[in-house]
Amino acid sequence: MKRISSRQLYFFLACIAPVGKLLFLPTQLANSARNDLLFPMLASYLVQAGAIFCVLLLAKRKMNLYELLENTFGGIAAKILISIFALFLFYATLVPLLEQRLFVQNVFYDTLPSLIVFAPYYIFAAYVISKPLSSHGRVWDILAPLSVFGFLGILVLSVGSADFGALLPIGAGGIRGFLRGTMSATNWFFDASIALTLLGKFDYGKGMAWKGALFYLAGGVGVLTFLATFYGIFQETALHQLFAFSQTSQYFSGVTVLGRIDYLFIFALALVMAFYCILPAQAGVDCLLQAYGKPRYLPTVFSVLVTGTLFIISLTLDYRFSEVLEVISGTMFWIFPIFTVMLPILCLLLRRKRREKA
Amino acid sequence: MKNITGELIKTKDALKKLLPSEDILTFDFISEKGMQFCVVFADPITDKELLGEQVVRALLDYDGKPTAAEVGAKLTSPEMKTETALDILALEILSGNPVLLFAGMDAAIIVGTKKVFTRAIAEPSTDVAVKGPREGFIEDVKTNTSLVRRRFKTGELKIEFLEVGRRSKTAVALCYLEGTSTEQVVKEVRKKINDIDIDIIPDSSYLTHFLSSRPYSLVKQVGTTEKPDIFCAKLAEGRVGLIVDGSPIALTVPYLLVEDFQSSEDYFVPTYRATFTRVLRLFALLVAIYLPAFYVAAQLFKLQLFPVKLLLTISGAIRDLPFTPSLEMLLVLLVLEILNEASIRMPKYVGMALSVVGALVLGETAVSAGFVSTPAIIIIAFSGIGLYAVPNLIEQTSVVRLAMLLVAGSVGTYGIILATGFMILYLVTTDNFGAPLVAPFSPVVGRDLRDSIVKYNLGSLQKRPKSLKSPNKRRLK
Amino acid sequence: MKKHKFLKTIPMKLYLILAVFIIFYFFFNDFGLVDIQKTAVILAVGIDKTDNGYSVTTEIAVPKGSDRKMGGTSSLEIVGEGKNVSACISDIFSKTSWVPKFVFCDLIVIGERAAKEDVFSYLNYFIRNKYMPESCNLAVCEGTAQEIISSQSAIDDTSSLAIGKLFSDASVKSGMVMPNTLKDFTIGYFGPSKSSYLPYLRSTPQKGSHTHGGSGGSNSSSGGSGGNQVEEQAYSAEETALFSEGRMVGLLPHELTFAFSLLKGNVHAGNFNAKEDDADATLTILEDEGGVELDMKKQKVTLSLDLHARLCCKSVTSEVEEIASEEASDEALESAEKLLRADIEKLWNTCKEADCDLFNLRRSLYRSSHKKYEEWKDDLIDSLEVEIKTNVNR
Repeated sequence: MKRISSRQLYFFLACIAPVGKLLFLPTQLANSARNDLLFPMLASYLVQAGAIFCVLLLAKRKMNLYELLENTFGGIAAKILISIFALFLFYATLVPLLEQRLFVQNVFYDTLPSLIVFAPYYIFAAYVISKPLSSHGRVWDILAPLSVFGFLGILVLSVGSADFGALLPIGAGGIRGFLRGTMSATNWFFDASIALTLLGKFDYGKGMAWKGALFYLAGGVGVLTFLATFYGIFQETALHQLFAFSQTSQYFSGVTVLGRIDYLFIFALALVMAFYCILPAQAGVDCLLQAYGKPRYLPTVFSVLVTGTLFIISLTLDYRFSEVLEVISGTMFWIFPIFTVMLPILCLLLRRKRREKA
Repeated sequence: MKNITGELIKTKDALKKLLPSEDILTFDFISEKGMQFCVVFADPITDKELLGEQVVRALLDYDGKPTAAEVGAKLTSPEMKTETALDILALEILSGNPVLLFAGMDAAIIVGTKKVFTRAIAEPSTDVAVKGPREGFIEDVKTNTSLVRRRFKTGELKIEFLEVGRRSKTAVALCYLEGTSTEQVVKEVRKKINDIDIDIIPDSSYLTHFLSSRPYSLVKQVGTTEKPDIFCAKLAEGRVGLIVDGSPIALTVPYLLVEDFQSSEDYFVPTYRATFTRVLRLFALLVAIYLPAFYVAAQLFKLQLFPVKLLLTISGAIRDLPFTPSLEMLLVLLVLEILNEASIRMPKYVGMALSVVGALVLGETAVSAGFVSTPAIIIIAFSGIGLYAVPNLIEQTSVVRLAMLLVAGSVGTYGIILATGFMILYLVTTDNFGAPLVAPFSPVVGRDLRDSIVKYNLGSLQKRPKSLKSPNKRRLK
Repeated sequence: MKKHKFLKTIPMKLYLILAVFIIFYFFFNDFGLVDIQKTAVILAVGIDKTDNGYSVTTEIAVPKGSDRKMGGTSSLEIVGEGKNVSACISDIFSKTSWVPKFVFCDLIVIGERAAKEDVFSYLNYFIRNKYMPESCNLAVCEGTAQEIISSQSAIDDTSSLAIGKLFSDASVKSGMVMPNTLKDFTIGYFGPSKSSYLPYLRSTPQKGSHTHGGSGGSNSSSGGSGGNQVEEQAYSAEETALFSEGRMVGLLPHELTFAFSLLKGNVHAGNFNAKEDDADATLTILEDEGGVELDMKKQKVTLSLDLHARLCCKSVTSEVEEIASEEASDEALESAEKLLRADIEKLWNTCKEADCDLFNLRRSLYRSSHKKYEEWKDDLIDSLEVEIKTNVNR
């Protein structure tokens, strides 16, 4: 339980990470790139896969992120840097958390429920955060088949209703649409940062770096297939279809006979998402624990503090999701590439050999 | 610690002083040659007939020296030992073994003529198999270990007798196959058993508390079985077993959750049938836990979960009910649990009447009177049946079902999803004796998946479960 | 030691607090929740244009009968009026205090008058409503939507369920009906073609049907003129309304609806009449391969039809040997080809006159070349030469 196996890591990259990109991102991309929405997604995936490749190469050094930083910059600087990185991870939690809340309010309830119905999620989040990040390896073992089950189920029910010709003509959105799409997708791509916090929790195996990147891209192929199906179904109206994966399967003819059987798959993905969207926060707490030691009470204290803060922020930002998204994926979009792409690459430049401790 | 003296009267008095209870009797007799003997024994638990046959009759013509060795040689009992410490002699008397004293003795003789109260070996009521062995454990530890020994004609089977309970001194047989069970697990179990400081152990369930890594957990962490064949199969897989005197339920560790979805019969029927029944058990369990919860959550928060025609049927059925859907379901569930509890405890002749009253009269009248709706009764009935598909997990799953219902009634379907998330995280982070509770699903152990919910052909199960970390990996050559 | 024990029992205490919290909410929760008993389960919505705005008729499902052991479907129609759809829905809520839930709404009927204006001025409400399934059927009706929704069906207690049967897969395969959903209609409106179609509903009183009271059946709160006396109706949707830029611009009669179905390749068991020896010969279509192909190099559109058919029946009494044969004669096939060609030509001309891009030619052009689309989008339909190919085989 203290270590993550390579299989569990691949499960995360191929099956868990894609789930977070099926909710709001397809709509966001349809909004910015219209029928060219596959290209920004593909570009983001390729860049992120490269970053993951770099992170997995770092695993060869058998040090966690804090040790890597400390090895080069010394204890104090490493503590400052890792605290900044942890702050970024808490920041990265914001959009998935808010979109999750909107998703829950709209998909799990027939009428707009009160805010309190999402409150139990914070109890759940606190519990998840209080557990060591490495214990997630086993969770991924359970969630990966669930994710595949949910994803394939939805895809099978949806694909018949899609008109893939809607993705034509290629390039109608132009370079501008592509860039806008890529920019707006940045805040959904933080998987390399999470992989960075997992350093030291798994052993590097032969070819792990390219295998990891390939598994991540395999997940990306799934997301691209879904995206194509999504746009094929909704076409010009895709830009107002929020919570994409819960929308596409309702046109399956069996739904009229058996009722909304697709909810079975939606619930499976919602369960995976419940774990995934708190993962950055948990990774942030893990970073802090790497830097500031691991007294027994500290994970609980951090988990309560972090979830408490997120709860207050989400209450404050209630009904302002579009504004938050505009700021995070618009004006502040550059923050994500710094921490999820540049940081893993820069980390490769850190000192390789362990410094002798005085 | 006081020792005996050569004087018969003094020793007898000392023992009487230690054991002043009225059921501790003494029997004095003199041999034909005039040598004085005295037997001290606990009346209800000593086989007096055997005592007379093997001790008194054998010594009536004794004319040897008053030494334990010579007197012992004259006795016809196959089980005896000598002892000088009064405390130990007192303990043996309390265990049913009479103590023979004689004038001028150097040590007292303990004779193994304990009276054993046992019932016949019968088929266990909680673990019935249509095909396969019908034997079940009984309350006597010796009989139970003999049932195990009969199945392993090898010196590798080790049975260690430990003693637990300050007052009960209950015998606990620690069984394992040397070289197959992990040594570390054996040591850990032995240590945990030896560390128990409790006055009495009335049943093996007491031990589970001390063996669990999370003793307050709702989740079961020690395997249980009433069948020697299952017990032996588990030992052969590399587990360690415990048989407790006075309990027909044997324990095995490490425990994997998947064990309870397997039945002994699965190994005696074709593999496709075994797989089908295991999947069915899992499905039944999921239905039992989730069906009432989803039914309530759908009515309160997400009507879309029902097909429209079913919704209208339900809507018609619950019209004018005095309770909310969640309270209605809670009420029916509680009635079911009460009926269940009552039917187990009640005498059998009343049980039949109770089931008629419960199922027919109460159910039918409650619906007619408008207290509850027919769909709610159907849902709970279905859930109740599903629960019994995995009988070894009933205690846990019935509580989980209630918890799910409460969550569903409070926060709806998303609450159910989150509760499931809690459960998953809790289960996957539970290890017991080095084995992950949810193995072979988390962590995934490909080899062990062949005998999990899916059951492969016996020929494919060449190796022992990897999750149990047995040093002897291969079982089929 | 004491502190250690306290820390050790914290999780237990937290679980206990959580359990108490959940139990409390279980018994006392009301997160603004609208449970099954406070809900108006809307099965269908009818929208009509009035002089002061709109009138929305909702068909609400109610449990049938008072015996709680019985289920069934019965309905109640409530009408709300206001300046827009939202105001109408609020009016319904204020009349009943039932919270309207659209999650089960499977039919939106637009009244004739309302269809003449841009339908998206009011359909907007449903498209934006996250609880409205976009898979719901959309139709236009003769007269007002209120009349058709409040009418008593001859085949079902609930009119919307009876109408819903018209849009079943079996009906589509017969080629008699061209149903459309809210989603597809919206795509047509917002897509490059800006055109779409909807089935056109008519209700006809059933000869010999008895009039009956409202008990057990549907009754309307809109105050129908006949009190509780309602005449049973049968519904048909064999005609198809054409829409361009959200407005109804034309109507396809049933034979053109059939031709449209054939071109869409929908028909798999439909029958149609051809001529053989001056008598009617009904053919059953076994296989339908219809297609519309746009060739911008030649500025030509090809409407092609390739059918496999067999003889179903003839109006002239046959010899007993002939009855055993299902093979259509050459003459019947030839006649079928001619008739279908004429229908397709008529269909094309009707769409052209109505300026309705029914075959989504603009969309095809857009998908093949964005540049050409920009060049031709305004007068594409008028500039195209039409080629019609029909081929009816055995």
